[in-house]
Amino acid sequence: MNVYIKNILRFCIIILLQVLILNKINLRWWNEPSGFPVFIPYVYPLFILLLPFETPVWGLLILGFILGITVDTFMNTAGMHACAAILIAYLRTNVLSALLPRNLSEYDGLQPSIKTMGWMPFLVYSAFLIVLHHFVFFTIELWNLSNFGFLLLKVTASFLTSMLFIIVYLLLFTRQSSSRV
Amino acid sequence: MRNFILFIRRFFNLILFLILEIVCIVLIEHTNTLQGNDIISSANTVSGLVYKKQSDVVYYFGLRKMNDSLLNENAFLRKQIDSLHSIDTLKDSLVHRKIYPTDTSLHIVKFADYIYRTARVINNSTNATDNYITINRGSNDGIAKNMAVISGTGIVGRVEHVSPHFASVISILSSKQKVSAKLKNGTNGYIIWDEKQPDVLIMTDVPQQEKVKKGDSVFTAVFSIFSPDILIGTVVKTEAIKKNTMQQIYLQSSTNFHNLQYVYVIENKMIMEKKKLEDSSGKK
Repeated sequence: MNVYIKNILRFCIIILLQVLILNKINLRWWNEPSGFPVFIPYVYPLFILLLPFETPVWGLLILGFILGITVDTFMNTAGMHACAAILIAYLRTNVLSALLPRNLSEYDGLQPSIKTMGWMPFLVYSAFLIVLHHFVFFTIELWNLSNFGFLLLKVTASFLTSMLFIIVYLLLFTRQSSSRV
Repeated sequence: MRNFILFIRRFFNLILFLILEIVCIVLIEHTNTLQGNDIISSANTVSGLVYKKQSDVVYYFGLRKMNDSLLNENAFLRKQIDSLHSIDTLKDSLVHRKIYPTDTSLHIVKFADYIYRTARVINNSTNATDNYITINRGSNDGIAKNMAVISGTGIVGRVEHVSPHFASVISILSSKQKVSAKLKNGTNGYIIWDEKQPDVLIMTDVPQQEKVKKGDSVFTAVFSIFSPDILIGTVVKTEAIKKNTMQQIYLQSSTNFHNLQYVYVIENKMIMEKKKLEDSSGKK
């Protein structure tokens, strides 16, 4: 499949998955007044994480902006998701080159995945960027550092469930056969 | 000039990054004002359509619950009608009598104040800091900004963005919104949300000498954007603030925000007149 069509399809799938399914699940870990905050997992940064290696930084930035604004439109949070998405799009290349043994230009025509990078590097890569994304997003959303503990609680809980959903997504949508797309 | 172009080429990514972040911050800044932007909101045509399609599918799973709530509401309204019938209007018509024949201030003004429009909820959130609800009515159906929205069981919020076919409502589960409320005996306060629990609201500015019992009801006050005497919630616990002589009252919200299906949008015909008067007197 053409790499462009594939990514456009993935964009649609991830947005619909996020907006129509995950946003409707209100996860709460236990149910008490003054207990745990309600939160939702955000898996849409996965789109940026899975773009091909050779995507230039400006392309990543613009795609991140489009992705963020689309999610914002659906969730009425104009700019908040876009802000976080642009940040991880900007840092993606640096994180990748720090984690990978070879130079980025040598991975021609490939994309970051558990097959090309292996489980551990990919999880570190995605976990780092997702923590960053969640931290920035929730900071902007709450916009006061007076209850920092609450912010950390929200970030941690959301991050753990996001990672869970991302792993499930990877297991579902990674081809097991040897033929590489 | 050449150096400048070289500089831009060298730091192109960084500059683009900064520009996009600034665009985002400007957007966030704009939504935090009351006017807001209507394009990047779930009232826009594309996202409204997606939410509508989804709601068409999910709709059927909630029909039974909705029937029950409508029955309950019908019973409540019937009870109210009956209580109105029992008043003998002829005996109570003291206000009709004019003291002086020339004085016209005492005749009853027929405040055909409120118009109710029904709308279906096509998207709903309870987990953000500012929660929004999207409904399937827009300016073509007569919805305008700042109209009040209630459900069958209690208050919901205020219309914030409007497009021709959809509108997004900022619910009372939001840090931006305060609602005037009153206790059973008429003591006023206002309702805020502590951004944590989607069912728990907080009523503040109530003097400590007010004795509030667990299970008391709290209603909207006369001067809120909502029509008066709509149930907001019931008291769960009270908490005295040591700093001043006020107390905080925790309420269990009477609206179940998790499964909102239908809401009523209230148009207050008099509110423009009232607002104009208040603004003009506020300026002086």
